[in-house]
Amino acid sequence: MSSKLSTQTFHHYIGEKARIARAYDYLVLVLALFLFIGSFHLHFALTVGDWDFWVDWKDRQWWPLVTPLIGITFPAAVQAVMWSNFRLPLGATLCVACLSIGTWIARVFAYHYWNFFPINMVMPSTLLPSALVLDVILMMSNSLTITAIFGGSAFALLFYPSNWPIFGMFHLPIEAGNSQLTIADMFGFQYIRTGMPEYLRIIERGTLRTYGQIATPLSAFCSALLCTLMYTLWWHIGHWFATTRYLKKI
Amino acid sequence: MGTITDQIKIMTDQTKMPPWYLKDIYRYLSAFGVLTLIYIGFRIYQGAHGISSGLDSTDPAFEIYWMRLFNFNVTFITLFAGLSWGYLWFSRDKNLDTLEPKEEIRRYLTLTMWISVYTFAVYWAGSYFAEQDNSWHQVAIRDTPFTANHIIEFYFNFPMYIILGGCAWIYARTRLPLYAKGISLPLTLAVVGPFMILVSVGFNEWGHTFWFREEFFAAPIHYGFVIGVWFALGVGGILLQGVTRLIELLDEIEDAA
Repeated sequence: MSSKLSTQTFHHYIGEKARIARAYDYLVLVLALFLFIGSFHLHFALTVGDWDFWVDWKDRQWWPLVTPLIGITFPAAVQAVMWSNFRLPLGATLCVACLSIGTWIARVFAYHYWNFFPINMVMPSTLLPSALVLDVILMMSNSLTITAIFGGSAFALLFYPSNWPIFGMFHLPIEAGNSQLTIADMFGFQYIRTGMPEYLRIIERGTLRTYGQIATPLSAFCSALLCTLMYTLWWHIGHWFATTRYLKKI
Repeated sequence: MGTITDQIKIMTDQTKMPPWYLKDIYRYLSAFGVLTLIYIGFRIYQGAHGISSGLDSTDPAFEIYWMRLFNFNVTFITLFAGLSWGYLWFSRDKNLDTLEPKEEIRRYLTLTMWISVYTFAVYWAGSYFAEQDNSWHQVAIRDTPFTANHIIEFYFNFPMYIILGGCAWIYARTRLPLYAKGISLPLTLAVVGPFMILVSVGFNEWGHTFWFREEFFAAPIHYGFVIGVWFALGVGGILLQGVTRLIELLDEIEDAA
């Protein structure tokens, strides 16, 4: 048995409406691409900064703590808009892909070609696996709480293992000047940075390193805890900025 | 099977390039082209003269190659702001109450193009030349606020995206009924917040001059820039405002068809 539907429910499809919507989508896509390369990259560069710029800052303590903690901010805010309003589970991946594009262009043309830093010294880290998992957890759970706890934790915990194949080789020990150091340290000593001298390099500080090989997992789990809080905070920040209010005066 | 006159008209309208709702597409693409040429031109200039004359601000060559560029930038930016904002204001629509739905749709797409050009300028200022600042200050001794990258980043790129953001704001305020009746909070946040990044240059230069000469990017001296750029997230609200209104307008033209 088939039910009789009112023909007034459906409008005659003439095609133009779809073409206008499609044109608007493409314009928004281009807009979003440059918006997130520009804004997320600036935010990231001025907060994670040197931990992402230089290979000799990519240590076991601060790098896995700071990078996911700052890196989850814009993805959470954009997910809050894209998922809540459009059911698009791609906020985190969009932000992180844009960040990767921006950082790679800058590292190649601003660091390598202008000032001759070796590209191995300034390669950006990747957050793409973390972002993909964050998007999938939001899509599967449709829950802020579950995504904050499990997605936020996964975002932080996946960071170090997904970057290890890229940067592990620079952690190999060498002996130079009667000292044991890493190849990454050697890059820093060989390519002098006038604005970022050795006394400013914030790596492996405090007593956490006395735990030996456990230092990195401890930093990663600390970051995981903080990421669950940071995710929730930035989800609400994203919602707050996506207001549709019109004011009488400013 | 024959083709009736109405179908021919629709088919002709469909093949018209650009269609009525993308009337400004060529201006939009031209804006991208011109901005790309300018920014790549700046980068080539830096590559050509950065090392030879941009390392020492007391060198007479610095005055020729860099301070002249600074003076040119400031003059150009001032004129461009006056001309673009003035044009958009004086050519405003004074009969918004009688605006046809089709024309309003077209203007929403053009507003999206304005915001897109704005975000393209934000890319160059916030991404490429911002990180290049760190790179340059690792090879040059910072002996002036007007370094070879600052002259382009702070005195061209920052004002340029502010001007283009202002253009988007004025365009919406003068040509779209909802934006004329009330002041859009997300659009204002997305334009005024990043404007505060330019104001933060003052704190940045003061700090670098009197307190912290090194270039440590994650230092609190740079947090003014960071907070300013968060306001770019207001674009989410602009999108929601635009989509909501476009759905209404599209239904209106569909019902009228």
